[in-house]
Amino acid sequence: MNWPDLSMGGYGFYVWGSYLVSLIAIVWEVVSLKQRKKALQQQSSNSVPASVLRGSVNETSS
Amino acid sequence: MLRWIVWRDLMLAWRRRSDMLSTVFFFVIVVSLFPLGIGPETQLLRTIAPGVVWVAALLASMLSLGRLFANDYQDGTLEQLLLTPQPLFLVVLGKTLAHWIVAEVPLVLIAPLVGVQFDLTKETLWILFVSLLLGTPVLSLIGSVGAALTLGLRGGGVLISILVLPLYIPALIFGAGAVEASIMGSTPSAHLSLLGAFAIVSLLFSPWATAAALRISLE
Amino acid sequence: MYRFCFHPGPLRQPSGYLWSEIIADCQLPIADLNGRAADANELAMGSQKLAIKMNLYKYASPANFYPLAGKMIPWFAIPAALLFATGLFVGFFIAPSDFQQGDAYRIIFIHVPAAWMGMFLYILMAIYAGIGWAFNARLSSMMASSLAVTGAMFTALSLITGAFWGKPTWGTWWVWDARMTSTLILMFLYIGFISLQAAIDDPRRADRAGAVLALVGVINVPIIYFSVQWWNTLHQGATIRILQKPTIKGSMLAALLIMLAACWLYSVAVVLIRLRCIILEREQNASRFAEVGV
Repeated sequence: MNWPDLSMGGYGFYVWGSYLVSLIAIVWEVVSLKQRKKALQQQSSNSVPASVLRGSVNETSS
Repeated sequence: MLRWIVWRDLMLAWRRRSDMLSTVFFFVIVVSLFPLGIGPETQLLRTIAPGVVWVAALLASMLSLGRLFANDYQDGTLEQLLLTPQPLFLVVLGKTLAHWIVAEVPLVLIAPLVGVQFDLTKETLWILFVSLLLGTPVLSLIGSVGAALTLGLRGGGVLISILVLPLYIPALIFGAGAVEASIMGSTPSAHLSLLGAFAIVSLLFSPWATAAALRISLE
Repeated sequence: MYRFCFHPGPLRQPSGYLWSEIIADCQLPIADLNGRAADANELAMGSQKLAIKMNLYKYASPANFYPLAGKMIPWFAIPAALLFATGLFVGFFIAPSDFQQGDAYRIIFIHVPAAWMGMFLYILMAIYAGIGWAFNARLSSMMASSLAVTGAMFTALSLITGAFWGKPTWGTWWVWDARMTSTLILMFLYIGFISLQAAIDDPRRADRAGAVLALVGVINVPIIYFSVQWWNTLHQGATIRILQKPTIKGSMLAALLIMLAACWLYSVAVVLIRLRCIILEREQNASRFAEVGV
């Protein structure tokens, strides 16, 4: 195991730059998905629960 | 049936001649903008001519694609056409053929004239004409898929462009490549034959895709 | 008077085991459909036995797949994180410096997996969209929609990291060679798919329209790749071949493969998370029909 040259032979900007961009992309994707999930769960808890809806369907139809 | 559809579309387009002419004018104006923007140096113009003319043809045909199905969709004729016992493939083929005659053939005819602005030789202008003649059916056919998919959607024109331009790229590459080969003095026949192959393949497959897309959009 | 029965499209074998429940639930007048109803019931019985044996088709329903996906996600996310760490460790600490490119080549460990995932996810997206269209399977189409965003992300990442790699090695951020051009077009195809689905309000129409577009695109991708390749060779311009993969060996290859596995597991996890979001968004209003199994 050899400790890598952190400046990447002078190409540090490019190597670390591309990994930074990848990290940002991955983090952005996961975070935005979590936010979307949270918003949806809040929305569904605000709306009428399914059992109540099922109850009303039973009464009104047939 | 095919003849009837083509004839009907041609007649309708003739009644709205301004649409046809506006496509041609758009093409001419766009092509003329480039020498104005880039400068009159003839060598440079000769180099960019194939790409510019072809891209302008692409853009002009994309503008006209919205009209392919929209009018019939709005007055309900398209639904009736879907219900006929004739195969939808033929209906689509007819409409695309009419669209090609109305929207693309004027471009093809006027392209040599516009090419003169770029100081192209007679052989090159001829190759430009032939490449557009072979390439514009591809544009109509593939464009019809995009038009069918985006039927009735808001933001239609830009959306069609986003969908269809990537699919146009092989035609663009070989069409412009043929003209460029002619400018450089080598033979354009390889490019033109590939372009012809694209035309045939899209003739066989894209009406089928368009028919499927129409059914999806209209249910 | 029937109780209203919601059923998503033509009845096929996969949902056969629900058909008997639907008949009972819907109280269809069996007498009218006498001959056919008997067949339908036998069909339901047979397929119910089969479905009980197989117990798989029940996961074709979004409502049933939702919890399964939830359980699957950690099994992909955690190994993905571990493999990312391992791959980067091997790539930076164990793999030696390249003879020609020095240390700049280490971008390969994110660039190549991203490019492969971009292409692979497009094909997968087209397959799922096609299945969703052909078999009227909503979950399949939802999967395609979910794949699109991750695929677009990886393709964009491969373009960006490719540019970062090109600058020190070729001297320029962008070159119109065959591979870069066709990756750019793949990006456009993804954007077209996502835009089309975003522009259509009706989710079923969006699914099917997306399927047509994805399939036309997938046929076009090899054409684009070859035409761009021929274009460049015909021009004989300054095209530089990106290094061919099998020529690298040893720890470099190991790191590359580990990173590829990491990206693949990550994609599965993220696609499943997004799929759950999509299921929630679309099926929320259908909660009253949850018992019918849609």
